[in-house]
Parts: sequence; C-alpha cells; structure tokens
Amino acid sequence: MKRSCVKVMFSIALGGLLLPALISAGPRQSSPGSKSAPVQELTTLKSVGSHDAPITIEVFSDYQCPQCRVFYLDTARQLMLTYIPAGKVYYVHRDFPLSMHSHSREAARWATAAALAGVFETAEQTLYSKQDEWGSTGKIEDVLASALSPTDMKKVRTIEATQGAQIDAAIARDLALGESRGVNGTPSIYVLHKGQMTPLPSGGVNYSLLKQYIDYLLQQR
Amino acid sequence: MSQTSSIAVERPRTRSKVGFLLIAARILLGLIFAYAAYAKLHFNGAWHLRDYYFFFAMSIDSYRMLPLVIVQWMARILPWLELGLGALLVIGVGVRWAGLVVIALLAVFMIALAHAALGGLEIHCGCFGTGSVKPGRELMLDGVLLALALAVTVGGFLSHRAGKSQA
Repeated sequence: MKRSCVKVMFSIALGGLLLPALISAGPRQSSPGSKSAPVQELTTLKSVGSHDAPITIEVFSDYQCPQCRVFYLDTARQLMLTYIPAGKVYYVHRDFPLSMHSHSREAARWATAAALAGVFETAEQTLYSKQDEWGSTGKIEDVLASALSPTDMKKVRTIEATQGAQIDAAIARDLALGESRGVNGTPSIYVLHKGQMTPLPSGGVNYSLLKQYIDYLLQQR
Repeated sequence: MSQTSSIAVERPRTRSKVGFLLIAARILLGLIFAYAAYAKLHFNGAWHLRDYYFFFAMSIDSYRMLPLVIVQWMARILPWLELGLGALLVIGVGVRWAGLVVIALLAVFMIALAHAALGGLEIHCGCFGTGSVKPGRELMLDGVLLALALAVTVGGFLSHRAGKSQA
C-alpha cells in the first residue's frame, strides 16, 4: 500500500515537472491575444489572404485619411471578395498615421490591438466605414465596441492597455518602412510581383483599373 | 543719313535675337515634352513599355474628371503624342501645328490641375510620370510652358507669313 502510494505520488510529481515542459516544447500557435507577437507575426495579423499568393499589395494607410477610406471601401474590399479568397493577392496593411490627423495614431493603436486580438478585418472595416463618426469625436473605442462582440472588445481593450509599448513600436516600424521608401502621403500602394516592387500612383486607385493591372500581372506567370 | 543706317542695322539684329530666343524656346519646349513622355514610359528604374498605361490611367483617373473609357484611351495615347510633339518641336518640323496642339494640351492639363487644386485633391499630377510634384506647383509650371508654347506658335506663324510675303 505504502509502495503504491509512493509510486502514485512520484508519477504525479514527474507529470507535474514534465507536462509544462512538454506543452512549451510543442508546436507554437499564434494565439491571438498572446503576450507578445514578433514583428513578422504582427504583420501577418494585419494582412489578409495567403502569404503564398503571386501578388502582394502593400498599403500604407491612415485611418483618418478620406482617400484611404475611399480606397479601402471601393477598392480593397472588392479585392477581399475576389482576388484574395482565390489566393491570387495577399493584402498587407501598413500603418502610416499622418500628423495632420488628430486621431489617426490612436486609431492605428486600436487597430493593432485588434490585430493582436485576431479581429483586425472587422476593426479595419469599422474604422473606415465609421470614419466620420470617430474622426470628429475621437471616440474610437466606442465605435469599435459597437462592431465587435463584447468578448472580442474586452480582449482588444486588455491588449491596448497592457501592450502599449509593443503596439507603438509596431506603428513606428511601419512608419519607418514607409519613410525609407519615400512615402509622404496616404494611401501609398505598392504591388509586389515576381520580386519586383512597383509603387502605384498616389491618391487611391479605382478598382477596375487595379483589376486590369492584376489580371495583366497574373498573365505574366 | 548715319541715323537711318544705324536703325537699319539695329532691326535685323533685334530680329535675329528674337529668332534665336524663339528657337531656344522651341527646343526647350520640345525637350520638356519629350522628357514628360520618357517619364511616363520609364520609371521605378525600368522601362514600362508594355504596362505604362495602367499607371498613367491610374494617375489620370485620380483627377476624377473623365469616364474610365476615355481615361484608358488617353493613358495609352498621350505619352506617344507628347513624344511626337517633342520631336517635331526639337527638329523644327511643323512647328506651327505642333505648337497649336501643345497649346491645346497644356490648356486641358491646366484645367485638370486647377480642378484638382480647387477640389483639394492630394494627388500627384502624373505629368512627369509617378514622381511628379503636387497639382498647385505643376499648374505654375504649365503656365510657364503655355507662355513658351504661345510664343513659339505665334513666332512660327509670323515667320511663315513673313516668308510668304518675301516670296
């Protein structure tokens, strides 16, 4: 009896020691809302589509910029319904909050927090479609809360409150990347195809013109 | 007597000075037009002879003035038209007619730029490819080019008439 009791206690202790090690050694999943996301992972969280798509469209954007809203609602959304689900386009969002817009950096912070919580697409769509609402009042949190579920919003709030430094660093990295490419206005759109990066004319792009260009590039494969 | 001869010498000199300035203006205008065409066909470190019109169409469309069909048509033709006009002006063939087309083009560009500037559109004009300056500054440049084009065209018509009357 004593021996079996010792055996049980020993196995429990061993299990207690080994189990956390086994869990941490297992495949790491990019769980949204995890403590800290590496740079690459954060970029992925702010992107839509498959990384293996033949065309990558990278957009430096400011949530408070009217032309960015037009581009997002009229062009990017259509891409998200057509080329992105088909695996032909990978859409990468880059934050480029302009100093002329009073709430754009704060909006970028909330959107990044939403990305870390795994609800970036909804947050981005809400920020652009309700730009007039929060742009005049600055009540970004309220606008997001109206679109996200209470559980998701709670996650976003927690991340925004606890990972401020990481979020700011991510925005600063996007800004630095944009400045290194000479971005001075938004939206600034880059198309990457077969290793060649081509900037599109600034001021937003009509969907049917972008569609024609994408189709042309896809024919080059 | 001596006074009359000095006037007679002065006139051809002034005329030759004006003629020289007009030739310089014509060549300058031609080179600027040729450069505008080049910038639309060669950008981002490479020639874009097969896909230039996508980018130029996007630039024209950002003015939000024309239907898409016309935008695409203009995007395909305009760089080659600019190149042709530039070449004619530089070599001095059909100067009067090339000048008239240049004046018409510049007037259209200026209307579009004024529309963009007044509408507060934050766009690059596309006049010199993707690396163009903002509409307000481009409008001033086009104003200077229009003055040059007017001088070259009027000069071309006047010298043509003078040549006819001499004959």
